[in-house]
Amino acid sequence: MVKCLILAAGEGKRIHPLTFTRPKVMLPIANKPIIEWNLLNAINAGLKEFVFVVAYKSEMVRNYFGNGEKYKVKIEYVNQGEPKGTAHAIGVVEKFVDDFIVLCGDTIFGENDIKNILNTKKSIGLYKLDNPNEYGIVETKNDKVVKIYEKMDKPFTDIINAGIYHFDKKVFDFIKKTSKSSRGEYEITDTINIMAEKSDVSSVMLEEWRDVVYPWHLLDANEEVLKKLDKKIEGTIEKNATIKGKVVIGKNTIVMNGSYIEGPVAIGENCKIGPNCYIRPYTSIGDGCHIGNACEVKNSIIFDSSNIPHQNYVGDSIIGSGCNFGAGTKVANLRLDKNNIIVTLNGKKIDSKRRKLGVIMGDNVQTGINSMINIGSFIGNNVSIGPGATVKGVIEPDSKVM
Amino acid sequence: MKAVILAAGEGKRLRPFTEAMPKVMLPVANKPILEHIFDAIKKTGIDEIITVVGYEKEVIMDYFKDYKGLKITYITQDKQLGTAHALLQAKDEINESFIVLAGDNIIDNKSIQKLILDRSEYSILVKEHPHPSKYGVVFLENQNLVELVEKPEEEIGKFISTGIYKFPKTVFKKLEQLNKQGIHDLSSVVQSLLKDGILFSTNTADSWMDIVYPWDLIQVNEIMLQNIKVSTGGTIEKNVSIKGDVSIGKDTKIYSGSYIVGPIIIGEGCEIGPNACIFPSTSIGDNSVIHPFTEIQNSVIMNNIHIGSNSFIRNSVVARGSILRHNFTGSSGESIIEVEGEFKKVKNIGSLIGEDCTIENHVVVDPGCIIGRKCNICSMKRIRNNIQSNSKVM
Amino acid sequence: MCGIIGYNGFRDADNVILDGLKKLEYRGYDSAGIAIIDKKQQVYKEIGEIKNLEKKLPKIKGTIGIGHTRWATHGGVTKNNAHPHLSTSGKIAIVHNGIIENYIKLRENLEKKGFKFVSQTDSEIIANLIEDNYRGNLKDAVFSAIKKLEGYYAIVVTCTDEPDKIIGARLQNPLVIGVGDNENFLASDIPAFLKYTNRVVYLDDTEICVLTKKDVKVYNKDEKIVDKKENVIDWNIQDAEKSGFPHFMLKEIYDQPDTINQVLRGRISEIHRNINFNENVENLLNSNISSIQIVACGTSYYAGLIGKYIIEKFTDTPVFVEFSSEYRYFGLKHESSLVIAITQSGETLDTLAALREAKNSGCKTLVITNVIGSTATRISDAYILMQSGLEIGVAATKTFTSQIIVLLLIALKLGMIKNKISAVSLYEYIRYLREIPRKVRDVLDKNNEILDIAKQLKNAKSVFFIGRGVNYPLSLEGALKLKEISYIHAEGFAAGELKHGPFALLTKSTPVVVIATKDSTYDKILANIGEVKARGSQVIAIAEIDDTEIEKHADFVLRAPGGSGVLPSIPIIVILQLLAYHVADLRKCSIDKPRNLAKSVTVE
Repeated sequence: MVKCLILAAGEGKRIHPLTFTRPKVMLPIANKPIIEWNLLNAINAGLKEFVFVVAYKSEMVRNYFGNGEKYKVKIEYVNQGEPKGTAHAIGVVEKFVDDFIVLCGDTIFGENDIKNILNTKKSIGLYKLDNPNEYGIVETKNDKVVKIYEKMDKPFTDIINAGIYHFDKKVFDFIKKTSKSSRGEYEITDTINIMAEKSDVSSVMLEEWRDVVYPWHLLDANEEVLKKLDKKIEGTIEKNATIKGKVVIGKNTIVMNGSYIEGPVAIGENCKIGPNCYIRPYTSIGDGCHIGNACEVKNSIIFDSSNIPHQNYVGDSIIGSGCNFGAGTKVANLRLDKNNIIVTLNGKKIDSKRRKLGVIMGDNVQTGINSMINIGSFIGNNVSIGPGATVKGVIEPDSKVM
Repeated sequence: MKAVILAAGEGKRLRPFTEAMPKVMLPVANKPILEHIFDAIKKTGIDEIITVVGYEKEVIMDYFKDYKGLKITYITQDKQLGTAHALLQAKDEINESFIVLAGDNIIDNKSIQKLILDRSEYSILVKEHPHPSKYGVVFLENQNLVELVEKPEEEIGKFISTGIYKFPKTVFKKLEQLNKQGIHDLSSVVQSLLKDGILFSTNTADSWMDIVYPWDLIQVNEIMLQNIKVSTGGTIEKNVSIKGDVSIGKDTKIYSGSYIVGPIIIGEGCEIGPNACIFPSTSIGDNSVIHPFTEIQNSVIMNNIHIGSNSFIRNSVVARGSILRHNFTGSSGESIIEVEGEFKKVKNIGSLIGEDCTIENHVVVDPGCIIGRKCNICSMKRIRNNIQSNSKVM
Repeated sequence: MCGIIGYNGFRDADNVILDGLKKLEYRGYDSAGIAIIDKKQQVYKEIGEIKNLEKKLPKIKGTIGIGHTRWATHGGVTKNNAHPHLSTSGKIAIVHNGIIENYIKLRENLEKKGFKFVSQTDSEIIANLIEDNYRGNLKDAVFSAIKKLEGYYAIVVTCTDEPDKIIGARLQNPLVIGVGDNENFLASDIPAFLKYTNRVVYLDDTEICVLTKKDVKVYNKDEKIVDKKENVIDWNIQDAEKSGFPHFMLKEIYDQPDTINQVLRGRISEIHRNINFNENVENLLNSNISSIQIVACGTSYYAGLIGKYIIEKFTDTPVFVEFSSEYRYFGLKHESSLVIAITQSGETLDTLAALREAKNSGCKTLVITNVIGSTATRISDAYILMQSGLEIGVAATKTFTSQIIVLLLIALKLGMIKNKISAVSLYEYIRYLREIPRKVRDVLDKNNEILDIAKQLKNAKSVFFIGRGVNYPLSLEGALKLKEISYIHAEGFAAGELKHGPFALLTKSTPVVVIATKDSTYDKILANIGEVKARGSQVIAIAEIDDTEIEKHADFVLRAPGGSGVLPSIPIIVILQLLAYHVADLRKCSIDKPRNLAKSVTVE
C-alpha cells in the first residue's frame, strides 16, 4: 500500500503574523486549511494511508484531522523534532513507510497530478512557472532528472521543482549521505541530486500547482480554489437578500435582507451576514463571523470568529481570527499613483507585484472607530488600534497605535 | 565546520566604552558587534562557534547563552597575549578545518561562505582598503597570498587582511611551535606559514567593517541601520510622525508630537517624548527615556539612558546607564581627539560619553570631547577637554 | 536533585536521551549515564558533566532507554554509583531521583536472598527490589516494590523481558509524561522532551504509568487505570544554561541589572508619572484596603519584611508579615485585609495553603510570583509576575531583588491611590527605580573587593549581621544567604536588640557585618559598632559611598549607594549575595545545590 507523506512541520516565518498561532499548512483557503485540499485531492487520487510530519503548533493539525476517521482514511503523525530541513523531515519517517509519495503540505497539488506521480516510481513533480526566481530549477534530459539547482537570480529554465515526490525505501540511505546545505539544512533536493547520479529519477510535469510564499499568495490561491467551487447554500437566506453566482453558505448562517453577495464566495457556519452588506467575488469568510450593515468586503480572506460589523471596507486583505473592527474602520488597498505595492517583510522590501493589497492582520486585533489602515500593512496579533488612528507599515504583536 | 571567534581583547582605543565591557559587546544598530557576527555565521550553515573570551568575559556569557540554535562554547584566554595565542586556546575543540574570525569586525555571511567553499586548506579573506597601512597589508599573486606585512611604514599595497582565515586542524602545531618562541599574533604565524611554502588562497570580502575608535561606532551604526527589521512595537500615541525605516521595540511608548525619521532603531521599554525628535541614523537602546523637546541625530544611545528635556545630541555616543539632565548640549563639529597617544582629526563629531555618568542640567560639551565612565559633571559647566573616568567636574 | 529521563519510540534512543539529559543538567552534573535495550541492557556511565559521557559513547542501537544526570546524595561520585543501576541479573535497569530512607534494611534483606550490589547508593536497591518482585509482569513488580520503599523518589524502569514498555513512578519528586506521536517520554522536567512534543501529562504522587510506543496508561495506587488530562505547553520554557559561569548562582547575581529592568518594563512611566499593573491588580489595589498581610517562606518572607517598611511608609496602611506555615494554621484571617503571597515558584506548599485559607475567609488575594501558569496564580484574585527568568540556584538571588522591586511598585501605587504620594514625588521615585540597575552594576564591578572581605569570613564559626529599619530585614537575608550555601552559622539581628541577649554570643571570633547606611539611625549604628568592637569582634561595615566617618569605626568597609530614606538599598543586597557566594566558594561548598535544600519546597 503506497503511503502519502505530507510535510506539515514548517512555521512559515514569511507568512507572519498569520503564522504566529498556526502552522503554515493550516492557513485557510476557501475555508479549508491548505493541507486539507491536498488531503482531499490525494484521497481522490486513491491514497488511503497518510503520515503527516508535524512540529510547529502540531496540535492544530492533530486536533483538526484526528486519525483520519472522518475522511475514512488512516492518518498517523510523526514529530520532526527540530527544523533541520526537508531531507531530515522525510528521514524521520523511515520506520513508517515503504513505497511512498511526499507532498509539501503548503503547496496545493491537483488530483490528476497526484495520480501521475503515484503511477511513476522514483519520480519528482515539475512545473512550468513564468517567474521561477524564487524556486529551485530543474535540469532534465529525456524526462530524467539531471540536477536540481538552488534558486538563482537568472534562472536558465522555467521548470521548477514542484515539491512532490515518489520514493521507495532506498531514499533513506541517500538521505543519510546528504550533507548540510549552505543554509545549514538537510535538503531533499540535495538528496535527489545524489540519487540522480546513481540511478534514474523520472520527472513528471504537473498541470496544477499553487504555492504560497508570501501572505498575499493566499489571496491568489483563494481565488483559484473558489473558482472551482459548486454553489451550495445550507444556511438561511432572507427574502430580500441577493445571491449571485457560485456561493457557498454554511450551516446555521443567516444572510439578512439587503445583503448582496456576488460569487465566487465561500461563507462558513454560524455566521451573521448583513443586513445591507456587499460581499464581492473571491472572498472567503470563516465560521462564526459577522459582516454587518454598510460593510463591503472584496477579494479577502476572513478567518473564524472575526467581526466586520459596521460601516467598514475591507479589500484585498487577510483578517485573522477573533478580530473586531470598530465602526467606520477602513482598509486602503490601492495607491493613489496606482503603482505596485511594496511591503516590508522581515526587514526586506518586497514588491508584492499587486496593485491592490490591503492589510495582513493577525488574530485578536481590535480597531477603534474610524481608524484607517493603509495599504500593505502588517498587523501582529493582539494589537489595539485606537479611535481615529492611522496605521501603516509593520506593527508588532501586542502593540498599541493610538 | 566550526568557527572560532577571538573575543578576548579589550579594545583600548575605544575607551571609555570598553572600560566595563569588551569591544565585541559594543552595540551598533542595537546589537553587540559580536551578535552581528553570530548572525552572519548562522546564515552560513556553521552550527558551532567556539568563542575565545578573556577581558570582561561575563558580559559576553551573560548576554548570549546558546544563541538561536547555534552551539556556543566559551574558552577563556587567561592572559591576553595576542591573536595566535587566543586561537591556540581553542585547540581541544577543533578536529577538522575551521574558520577563525575576530569578534570585533563586522563581516557578512556571503564572504564567510566564500572561505568555507574554497577548496584550499588555507585561505584568507582580504579586502581592498583606501588606507591599508593601518592594517596587515597583503600582496597577492594569481589569487594567492604572497606576503603579509603588518602595519607598514609607507603607504603600499591596496589589499588588507581582514584577519579572517580558514585553517586545517594541523595549523595548531604551528601555533604551538611559534607560541613557544614567544610569537603570539596571527599575522606572524601566517608569515611563517608562507615562508614554509604553504599555499594560501585569497577571497575578497564583500562587506567588512572594523571599529577601532569611538567615532567608528557612529559610522558603522549608520551602515548597519540600513538592514534593520522595520516594525513598530509598543504604543504609538496620536500625532506621532514616523517616516522612513523605523524599528520600535516592544513596550516602548512614543508620545504625541514626536517626530521620528528613519533609519532609526529604538529598543524595548523606552519612553520617547512628547515632542521629541529623533533623526537618522540613530540607535536608542532598551529602557531609555528621552524627554520632551530633545533632538537626537546620527547617534548611538545605548541602554538605560536618561536624556532630559531640551537637549541636543548629534554625531555622538552615549554609553549605558548615563544620565543627562535637561538642556544638555553636545556640540558637533570638527575636532582633534587624542586616543592612546595618537591625535586624530575627526569631522562632524559630537560627544562621546562613557557609562553611568551623571551630567547635570545646562552642560555644554565641545565637539569631540570624551567623557569617561562614571563621571559627574555639575550644572552649567562648559566642557572643552576630555574628562577622565571617575572624575567630578564641579 | 537529579535529572531522569526515559524514552520509548521510533527514534534512536541514544540521541533523544542525551539531548534530554543536557536540558536536565541543571539538576545535577557530577555524573551521568544511559541504558538502552537491544536484547540486553547496554549501559554507559561517566563521571563529570554530560559532555564527558557524550564523548565516550559509541553508537548505541535501540529505541527504548533511560538516562540520568546525577547530584550525589548517597555514595560518592564514582562510575559505579552513577545511574542507571541494573539488577543483579542485568534484566532490569532503573534511574532514580530522590532518597530511599530505609535502603540499608532493604539491602540486607535482598543480600540474604542472594542479590549482589556493586554501588553504595540507595538507588541500586530499587532495581533489585523490582527484580525480586518480578513474576512476568513489570507493572505489578514495580507496584509491589514501591510499597516497600520509604522515602521519596521519581523512578523510570525498563526490563529486557518486556522491551516494549517503560514504567515511571513517583512520590514527591517530579516526573512528567511527554505524549508524542508514536513515541512517549518520561522526564523530571518538561524541557527534556519539549522539542519532540508539547503535550504533557503530569503524573501525581503514588501513581504509576506504563508507556509503550503508542500509548500511555496511568494507574493509581489501587492499580486502577486513571484518566489524565493532557496539557499543551505553549509557554516558552527558558533554557537553563550556566554559559561559562562557574555556578548558576553567580550568573543569577550578575543577571540582576537586567532582571530589575524586566520587572519595571511596561509598569512605570516616567513621562506619565505613574505606575501601571494589569487590570486585575489595578482593580484590587483600587478597592478598599484597610490592612495588608504578607505571607511567604524563606527569602520571600524577608522580602515581605522589607515590603512592610515601604508599604507602611508610603500608604499609612498597617502591614503584617507572617510565615506561610504559621499563617495557614494560626493567622488571623479577616476579610477586610489584602493578603499578598510571595512565592517565586508559585508552588510553595505552605504558601499555597495560606492563600487558600485567606481566600476561603473572604480576603482579597494578590500573588507575587515568577512562574506564569503556576498554582498560586490560579488561586489568587490577581497576580504580578516578576519576569526574572528561570532561577536555578537554590539560594534565591535575582528573584529576591525582583520581589522587592514589585513590593516597591505596589507601595508606590497604593500611595498614589491613597493620595499619600504626590505626582512630583512619584517622579523622583520612578527615577530612583530606573537608576537601580546601574548602581547594581557598580557593585558587580567591585566583585574582587568583596572576595577579599570574604576571605575574612571564611573560617568563622558564626557571623552576625545587624541593621536598623529596612536594613534589619536585609541583615536577616544576608545571614540566610551565608547560612544556606556556606554552612557557617549566621544570624541577623535588629541592631538595637543586640544588647538584649545576643551580645552573650559575641566573641573575638564572631565577625559582625553591619549595614550602616546614612539614615536617621546612623549614629545609633555607629554606637552599635562600638559595642561590638568592645567585645573584640571584627566589624565589616557596608556603608555609603561618601561616608568618611565609618572608617574610624569599622575594621573593613564595603561601599554601595544607599537607599533613599526608607527605601532599601538593592546594591547592598547584591553585596550580601556576593559575600555569601565567595565565602561558600572559598570553603568549596556545593553552591548551586546546597545539602538538604530543594528549590521550590513542594513538600511540607
